Amino acid sequence: MYNDYKDRADFLAVYIREAHPLDEWQMKKNVDENVCYPQPTTLTQRIAIANDFTQRFHFPLPLGIDPMSNLADHLYAGWPERLYVIDESGKIVYRGGIGPFNYHPAEVRAWLEKRFPEVHVEVHDEVHAAD
Amino acid sequence: MRVLKWTAIGLLAILAIAFGVGCYFMGSPRDLYGFLRYALPQWHRGDLRVGNPAPDARLIALDGQSSFYLHERIGARPLVLIFGSYT
Repeated sequence: MYNDYKDRADFLAVYIREAHPLDEWQMKKNVDENVCYPQPTTLTQRIAIANDFTQRFHFPLPLGIDPMSNLADHLYAGWPERLYVIDESGKIVYRGGIGPFNYHPAEVRAWLEKRFPEVHVEVHDEVHAAD
Repeated sequence: MRVLKWTAIGLLAILAIAFGVGCYFMGSPRDLYGFLRYALPQWHRGDLRVGNPAPDARLIALDGQSSFYLHERIGARPLVLIFGSYT
């Protein structure tokens, strides 16, 4: 989606508190993939994990890290994952549900398709908005 | 006394079924506990709606040295916001 629409829309990933740290609700999948971190207690730790993430996946999107106050997460109810679209006037035009069950990048794609009908792309099954 | 006994048995049976169904959908008893402990309290968090102004928040850059405000990224084009973490 990012590659399809990056010339017409801006994308910003907001890195928030961990969803499945090893000292809280760790997932087997994360153990299998060696993604094992405790919940950061300092900003330095959170920044380090965010950098591990972007480097491992060569994450192409601009990314901002929520400070330890978790203000962005609090304001947007972002945990564990959630999608929004904000229009040019600063209004929310799409608010996704709480992930992973209600995390639907295809709904964002549908909004972008409606807004930019001139963009013709081959639609793939999308799991992550950055794909 | 007999009614009380069967009521207790019925409640235990309902709890056992709910536990079994929960474990099935979440994958394991541990994940069911994690869902109830960490996810369920977050389920109805946040009151933003479509049409509301997007709140502003300061975000730290990956270098850890600089920061920017979310509102600085709004205005020129639609902005897709993706909240998430590594784990």
